[in-house]
Amino acid sequence: MTIPASARSPLALRRRRTELGLIVMALVIIGSAYTLASLGRSASIPADIVPFLLIVLGLFVAAHLANRRLAPHADPLLVPLAALLNGIGYVEIARLNQELAAQQAAWTAVGIAGYLLTLGYFRRVRSLERVRYTFGVAGLALLMLPLVPGIGVSIHGARIWTRIGPVSFQPGEFAKLALAVFIAGYVVGNREVLSMATFRLGPIAMPEPRHLAPLLAAWGVSLIVMIFERDLGSALLFFVLFLVVLWIGTQRVSYLVVGGSLFGAGAVGTWSMFDHVQLRVSMWLNPWIDPLDRGYQIIQAQYAIAWGGAGGTGLGLGIPGRIPFQETDFIFAVIAEELGLFGAAAVLMAYVLMAGSGFRVATRARDPFAKLLAVGLTTLLAVQSFIIMGGVTRLLPLTGVTLPFVSYGGSSLIANWVLVALLVRVSDDAEGAGAGSGDEPTTVLAVR
Amino acid sequence: MPEQLLTVLKICLLILLYLFFLRVLRAVWAEVQEPVAADSGGSLRARTPAGPTAPQSPRKRHKRGAIRRLVVVEPAAAAGTAHLLASEMTIGRAPGCTVVVEDQFISSVHTRVFQREDTWMVEDLGSTNGTYLNRRKVTGPTVIHKGDRVQVGNVVMEVR
Repeated sequence: MTIPASARSPLALRRRRTELGLIVMALVIIGSAYTLASLGRSASIPADIVPFLLIVLGLFVAAHLANRRLAPHADPLLVPLAALLNGIGYVEIARLNQELAAQQAAWTAVGIAGYLLTLGYFRRVRSLERVRYTFGVAGLALLMLPLVPGIGVSIHGARIWTRIGPVSFQPGEFAKLALAVFIAGYVVGNREVLSMATFRLGPIAMPEPRHLAPLLAAWGVSLIVMIFERDLGSALLFFVLFLVVLWIGTQRVSYLVVGGSLFGAGAVGTWSMFDHVQLRVSMWLNPWIDPLDRGYQIIQAQYAIAWGGAGGTGLGLGIPGRIPFQETDFIFAVIAEELGLFGAAAVLMAYVLMAGSGFRVATRARDPFAKLLAVGLTTLLAVQSFIIMGGVTRLLPLTGVTLPFVSYGGSSLIANWVLVALLVRVSDDAEGAGAGSGDEPTTVLAVR
Repeated sequence: MPEQLLTVLKICLLILLYLFFLRVLRAVWAEVQEPVAADSGGSLRARTPAGPTAPQSPRKRHKRGAIRRLVVVEPAAAAGTAHLLASEMTIGRAPGCTVVVEDQFISSVHTRVFQREDTWMVEDLGSTNGTYLNRRKVTGPTVIHKGDRVQVGNVVMEVR
C-alpha cells in the first residue's frame, strides 16, 4: 500500500500531526487516571500498567494510522476526543468492576476494529448514498429484532436485547446508524418535493403527503417499536434525529413546529397511557416520594454528585456500589463523584467539542447527502449524551440510554466508533483533494 | 499513601485534562483563522484566478461586451448564483475549474467559455454528457449571446 500523494498536502499533514499530538496527550491522561485510580483504591501502582498502556497506545495509534492512509484530510479532533472519553470510561469501569472492565477492553478493541473496517470499506460517502434504502430496511429490521420471540430478551423491563447463540447485543444501537443513513439519503433525494408546500394544515404549509409518507412510516414504526420495547430514550433520540435532518434538509421551520407539537401530543399521550412513563416523570419531579425503591437510583446519583463537590473525592476514593447501573447509565454520576464538577465539566466539554466538530464537518461538506449524514450522526451523538447526562443530573426525566464511549456496553461502544468513522469519512471527502474531482466516473445522462 | 499526595495528583490530572482541551481549542482556532475559500455550503462554487469572487458587483469591469455573467437558472436550489465571465474559464467538477459544479452528470472539466475579441464562445471539452446551448448540443466553439441558455449536466445557466 502506498500513501496517496494528496495525503502529503499541508492541510493533511497538519491535521494528522494535530491528531497524533492529541492522541498522545489523551494517552497520558488515561494512563495517569488509571494509575491514580489504583493508588486511590489499593495504594499501589497497578501491576498491569505497562501492558495496559501498550494496548491503549496500540489501539488508538492504529486508528490514527488508518486515518493517515484512508482519510488523510479528515477532522483531527474526532478520534482523540472519542479516545479520551473511551479511556476515562474504562478507568471508571475498571475501578468499579474488574470483570466488566476486561470485557469493556475487548469491546474497545472490537470498536476500533469496527472503526477501521468502516473507514476501509466505505471509501467514498457516495457509496453509502447508494445503499440508503437497504440501510433503511435493515435499520427497521434491527429495531424489531428484540421483539422476535426466542431471540429477543427482556432485561430490566426493556426489551432491547437480542441473544443469538452465545452473542447478545442491542440491535437498536446499530439501527440508529442505519436509519441516519436512510433519512439523510431520502431527504436529499426528495428535497425539492419535501420543501414544496402543496396543501395547508391550518396556518402551516405541508408538502404532498405521498412524499412525506415513507418518512412518516419509518418514523412511526421506529417510535412504536421503541415504545413497545419500553426504550424511551431511543424513541426520543430517533424523534429528534428525524426532525433535525428534515428541518436542515428542507430549510423549512414548519417541520420543527409540526414536529414539536407532535412531540408534545405524543408525550402527553404516552404519559397518560403507560405506567412506566408516569413513574419516570414523577421520579424526576420528586424522587423523595419513594426514596428506598423507585426513587433510590436517582437519589443516590444526586448524593454521589454532591459528595464529589468541585474537585471530586479523587479517583478510586468515592463510594462505589451505591448507584444501580453505575457502570452503564449512571457512570456520569460516578465521574462527577470522583472527579468533581471540574471532571464532569470536562466530560461535558468533550461532547460539546465532538458535536462542534461534527457540525463543522457538516458545514464544510459540499455534497448535500454528506452534509445531512454528518448532521444526523452528530445529532445522534449529541442528543444521546444530552439525554443521559440530563437524566442523571435530573435536568430531564430519566430515560436509560448509554453515555456514548463512556458507559459499559459492547453494542454502544462499537456503534459509536462506527459513527465516528462515518463522520471522519465525510470530513475527508469534504476536504480531500479528491472531492468532486472525478475519481468517480461521470454518470451518463440520457440525451434528451 | 498520604491523602494530600493523592489530592495533589488528582489536581494534576484535572489540569492535564484541561490542557488537553486547551490544545483542542488551539487546533480549532488555527483552522478557523486560516483564510478559507468562500464556501457558503451551496452546491455551486465559483472561483476566479484572482481570488474569491464578488458576484454582487459585476458592473465594474468587463466593459468590452454586453455579456458579463452566467446566472444559474436550474436547479432551483442554486438559482440566482452568478458567475462572472473571465476571458478564459472552465466549468466542471474538478477543483481546478473556474466554476466548480457538484453534479454527478458533469465531467471533471466539462465546458470552456472564452472570449475572442468582442464575442464570447462556448466549447464542449469532450464531456460525457455534452454541453447544450439553447437545448442544442454544442459540437465546436459556438458564439453565445445575451439570453442564451447553456446547459451542463443538470445545471442550466443563462447568459446575461
